[in-house]
Amino acid sequence: MEGLRNDGRRWNELRRIHCQLSTSGSSADGSAYVEQGFTKVLCTVTGPAEPGSRQRGRSDGATVVCEVYFAAFSGTDRIKRGRNDKKVQELQTAVQKTFASVILTHLLARSEIAISLHVLSQDGGTLAACINATTLALIDAGIPMADYVCACTAGQPAIGLGGGSGGGDDDEPDPYLDVNYLEESDIPSLTVATVGGGEKVAVVSMESRVRIERLEAMLAVGISGCARVREIMDKEVRRYGKEKLDGTGE
Amino acid sequence: MPKEPETSLAEKTFVLEALKQNLRVDGRELHAFRDVQLIFGDDYGFVDVRLGKTRVLARISAEVTKPRSDRPFEGLFTISTELGPMASPAFEVGRPSELDHTISRILERSIRRSHALDAESLCIVTAQRVWSIRADVHFLSHDGSLLDASCIAVITALAHFRLPVVTVSGEDITIHDVEERVPVPLSILHWPICVTFSFFGDDENGETMYLLDATAQEEALRAGDMTITVNKNGEICQIAKSGGVAVEAEILMRCARLAAEKVKVIDKMIGDALREDELRRNKGNLDWLKEGRAENDR
Repeated sequence: MEGLRNDGRRWNELRRIHCQLSTSGSSADGSAYVEQGFTKVLCTVTGPAEPGSRQRGRSDGATVVCEVYFAAFSGTDRIKRGRNDKKVQELQTAVQKTFASVILTHLLARSEIAISLHVLSQDGGTLAACINATTLALIDAGIPMADYVCACTAGQPAIGLGGGSGGGDDDEPDPYLDVNYLEESDIPSLTVATVGGGEKVAVVSMESRVRIERLEAMLAVGISGCARVREIMDKEVRRYGKEKLDGTGE
Repeated sequence: MPKEPETSLAEKTFVLEALKQNLRVDGRELHAFRDVQLIFGDDYGFVDVRLGKTRVLARISAEVTKPRSDRPFEGLFTISTELGPMASPAFEVGRPSELDHTISRILERSIRRSHALDAESLCIVTAQRVWSIRADVHFLSHDGSLLDASCIAVITALAHFRLPVVTVSGEDITIHDVEERVPVPLSILHWPICVTFSFFGDDENGETMYLLDATAQEEALRAGDMTITVNKNGEICQIAKSGGVAVEAEILMRCARLAAEKVKVIDKMIGDALREDELRRNKGNLDWLKEGRAENDR
């Protein structure tokens, strides 16, 4: 098993990404379903619509609100996460703030865009999958955005994989791309999201201790992962668009 | 719901134009901190941090409780923060704002989850009695960088706090009075310090401008922000950048390195202030400090 991670990937391999647009039919303005390995997220977007309460409406742009639901069966233990759970709130603010700055809100004054995310299964990189699913759902809803927001995770193992682990030397092991749950709980990891698959970083979130010298490598691997995620998402959006235009879909 | 008064258009243009010429309204360098003032109270574990007009107060208290059943060896540590109308009329009691959530979340990530306080050193009798340390943060005045100031406040207060000595003989636990036995400092493994960067539009080279230690006015006008928590050993404990303007990865790295530099200065400043206070309290006799430690041998 020289050079392979615990699930058989090499250090720079993504897990299988499956994405789908318009999964909820007519019940929402836009919806998407994303699977990154065994992490599964369903996103629905409603809006732009009239704000639920008067206070929320802003005369200079749209307001973005986000709600995240964790299915009780999504993790290894059956845990019900309520609305006031810290993890839930953290995720909500992260998604809400990210998209508030990417959606061209000034075009949609006095309206509200509601994002609702259902995490069906967690296997590492929940925030990344949530961001990717939201991007696709917003595209499906036809909401104007600056570009795709693509997210990915990267982890820093203490010991290298050895064998064919690529360019890194022995004392500086290669960072892992797209960590799964086991790796996430074991090694320091960060989530990074870029706008448009380039070098422009919208989100960085890291909760574990890591040497400052290792940050650069982790960021670089994460960003290259984001570019690949963008390609995959773009392909699906184009395929879906073509299918719609050809009239071969619903 | 009270709202922060919006910055007028004239003010906004003035601040942003000045920034383009590398000038800040209070005359600081772009990457300079305001002077940090640390004022210690009469009791141990009471610190008043002033960062310009921002004023944050931290108070540490300890009590003996039962540990959590899944972690019988570990003491408890909680940080409580609440923004009230004393800091700014825009804050309400009992209705936490988004800033409130951000501060408590990042403090939690920076100090608690990075294991700055050695939880196992707070154990008295396994699965029966442990110390529960509580840090209460009060915000007295808000002029930006509340998070940076409160992180400094909590870390300084923890380092300043003294825990009463406990002796265990068989079933009996005796907590010695401060008069009876000299209380011991907590076992703090490292000092994480938060540095918040505020991002503004591009400068003439097309690079995103970033400021350190923003005032309330600059915070209201910024296009994005990022908080990095570093300790003096050059370890990053936490990074949080959610949304806001998208920034080149190169700039992020520059921010991280700058943060590490600034933290070394702040770390030294806190150390000096603590030593000075200790000298003042002990009239120059520091010998007992070397002996007393909260780590118990297990």
